[in-house]
Amino acid sequence: MNAVETDVLIIGAGPAGLAAAFETASRGLQVTLVDESKSMGGQLVQQTQVLSSLPSIYQPMCGFELAAHLSRQLEDFEIRYLLGHRVIGFYKDGSVGITDEKNVFPLRAKKTIVATGASENAIAFPKWTLPGVMTIGAAQTLMNRNFVQPGKNAVIVGSSDFAMDVALQLSKVGVRIRGIVEKNTGVKANGTEKVEQVRKIGIPILLNSSIKEARGIGAVSEVDIQQGEDIWTEKVDLVCVDGGRSPILDIFYQLGCSFGHQEELGGWVPQYNNDFQTDCENVFLAGNAAGISTQGALLVTGMLAGINVCAALGAISKEAVEEGKQSLWKELESIETRSNLKVWQARNQHIEKFAHPVLKDQFIS
Amino acid sequence: MDKSTIICRCEEISLEEIVEVIANGARTFDDIKRLTRCGMGPCQSKICNCLVAGVIHEQTGMEFHQIPLPRMRMPISPIKLETLATNSTTFSSVKSVLDEVELEDGKVK
Amino acid sequence: METSYETIIIGGGVVGSSIAYHLSERNKEGIVVLDKKFPLSGTSGSTQAWVWVHNKTPSWYAEFSMYSAELYPYLSKKIGDVEYKRTGGLSPFFSELDREKAERLAEAYEPIGIKIKVLSREEALEKEPSLNPDIVGATYSSIDGNVNPFRLVDRYMRAAKKNGVQYSTYNKVTEIQKLPGKFIVRAEKGRFECKNLVLAGGTWSRELGKLVEVTIPINQLRGQILVTEPLKPFLNYTISGLRQAFNGEVLIGYSMEEEGFNRATTLDVIQETANMAIHYVPSLRKAKVVRAFSGIRAMPEDGFPILGKIPGVENLYVAAMHSGVTLSPLVGTLMTELILDGETSIPIDRYSISRFA
Repeated sequence: MNAVETDVLIIGAGPAGLAAAFETASRGLQVTLVDESKSMGGQLVQQTQVLSSLPSIYQPMCGFELAAHLSRQLEDFEIRYLLGHRVIGFYKDGSVGITDEKNVFPLRAKKTIVATGASENAIAFPKWTLPGVMTIGAAQTLMNRNFVQPGKNAVIVGSSDFAMDVALQLSKVGVRIRGIVEKNTGVKANGTEKVEQVRKIGIPILLNSSIKEARGIGAVSEVDIQQGEDIWTEKVDLVCVDGGRSPILDIFYQLGCSFGHQEELGGWVPQYNNDFQTDCENVFLAGNAAGISTQGALLVTGMLAGINVCAALGAISKEAVEEGKQSLWKELESIETRSNLKVWQARNQHIEKFAHPVLKDQFIS
Repeated sequence: MDKSTIICRCEEISLEEIVEVIANGARTFDDIKRLTRCGMGPCQSKICNCLVAGVIHEQTGMEFHQIPLPRMRMPISPIKLETLATNSTTFSSVKSVLDEVELEDGKVK
Repeated sequence: METSYETIIIGGGVVGSSIAYHLSERNKEGIVVLDKKFPLSGTSGSTQAWVWVHNKTPSWYAEFSMYSAELYPYLSKKIGDVEYKRTGGLSPFFSELDREKAERLAEAYEPIGIKIKVLSREEALEKEPSLNPDIVGATYSSIDGNVNPFRLVDRYMRAAKKNGVQYSTYNKVTEIQKLPGKFIVRAEKGRFECKNLVLAGGTWSRELGKLVEVTIPINQLRGQILVTEPLKPFLNYTISGLRQAFNGEVLIGYSMEEEGFNRATTLDVIQETANMAIHYVPSLRKAKVVRAFSGIRAMPEDGFPILGKIPGVENLYVAAMHSGVTLSPLVGTLMTELILDGETSIPIDRYSISRFA
């Protein structure tokens, strides 16, 4: 089958992918945007909280507003949208195989930007596989996208900023939060205001604690919480776990990209340089796939990947690239040092190790 | 964590089974997968990957950067054979067993 | 750690582990298996694991394979359940030309005791109703079957360990020195000494041979295999090209590519393999593929096992072959006889490495 041709293939139509699409399409490149979802915006769509630390050109807004804004700014350009399409693998000549669920067809891109985002990590305890136990992201999707109240009485395991957001949103739709269970000695969230808000509405934050066991027939009905020597039972029908997030790596792995490990960026991360280019010359990356960060930072990484691809394809002047890169890196630094300094430091360490990946040549035995 | 805790929900593999093969010398996710089927189900280790890394870390003291990623596979998510299939009826790399049987003077070589 | 052994086996795959196990049945002391990674990380862990006899050619190789297949039921009694199923093997064909081949095959194999039936279209469809009604016929033999390769190697390894065999894994051999009466083997985790040295390096045999300045002519031949979601049991036989495992997954593949040690999969071959699956068993259309994997066959230059002593170097042995799963029970048995008794109950001269000289 003859491959469809495109200048730039962007895999993932979340915030980073959409930002990259704008940078490339607005400079006259032919862009193909693929996402398995039928709608654009990725995880932004269910974010009802106001996003802090957006790039300076943006007004403060919620996730779904940002998603709409990012989609709207693409309206002026001829972009090939492959929404509801999945990337399923690669051909020997490097073309990507995409399915519309009827067929699989090859597409050949001069440059590819992979912005496949992050997945949530599980936390295991006895009977964590019972229905009613889910990730905080899944609970948020049920609530904000499907408008289903995911339970009546809940515990949340983990205390990141995201967990605080979800705790507040669940409370708002009438879910009673029996506690936020955190195994460490301190709250993980950086946003002190949110933590204050959570405390204010009476949600107990339990430090040094964990779920000892869940119980239930067919669905979760109670959990044992352990804090030090104390063990007690809470009647709940919803357990939301926040095991942190990790970059989704499947596409990088199949492309043969190398990986390094940075705990603060979510564990294994594709190796990339200052230009958000992987060690496969034609593959760039953006967003959470390049290390878990805040929404604002994700947008900036998308813009950076976008203008670097424009540079590689000669769609932008050298001066404009340098200027753009410099100001975007400054913006990224400003956002990440403000919101999470450790992520900024880890990102820089990761980039320094570009030439020395921990995992490479994964298919050579 | 209790020994009976399920680590791989697709294949229902418990912590105990994973600890046992680590004691037997398994060091990577893929070693554990081949010996227990952990991670071989529909999710293809997307869910249990981080849990298993945690178990390897606890049992062996290996740091997380020393525990390689599980091998990831195509198709990137499950797909029907009929969707994968093309209209082509010619085979270049794929053979049948009788292709390998050669005749010479009317006899099997 | 003890470093002086009677026998060192390099390679803990299905062949090396079978030799270790069979040797340990008679000789409990002083055996160590060195593996560069971990058993099953190579070819033994990436195979359809047919125990396949009926259209191996020529007849003497089929006969050798048959003796090995015959050992499986007894082996499972000894080392435990390896999910061995003697399903019988079916090779469908789609042209009259292939029927001709099939008839000749059946004739040639009758004298050695391998019964091959050439089935008509109707007979084949009666046996395996899911086959494509467009088939012209099929060859069938009751001796073929399949096994769970993970279980098989794990059971060999556990049984060997129980008999006192040590495994030193993630321990790549870097240097081998021959001294009078002994070998010095240097590996990443230390230095080992032994009287007998067995090279069972599978696809890496050529590289291993270089350490003792012996050419072991093994090349790499990649195969890509698709695995479906578990389906209700519906395939009765091991069909050349696909089989259904105990848990209901169907494994599909019969591709060959020369790609060295590259274990990537490609959509080109995946799609061709999907075509083959539907061509053989149309009802697989709706089945979902959950994964594809590549295995590298250890392919001797002439296709036949390389087995036995290495001439000119005392106490140095080689066991390298394609179809290691089918052959492992027999190879383990015969290599044990060779190492301990100096001769084998079934002649293996034909498989000597000296044929390449």
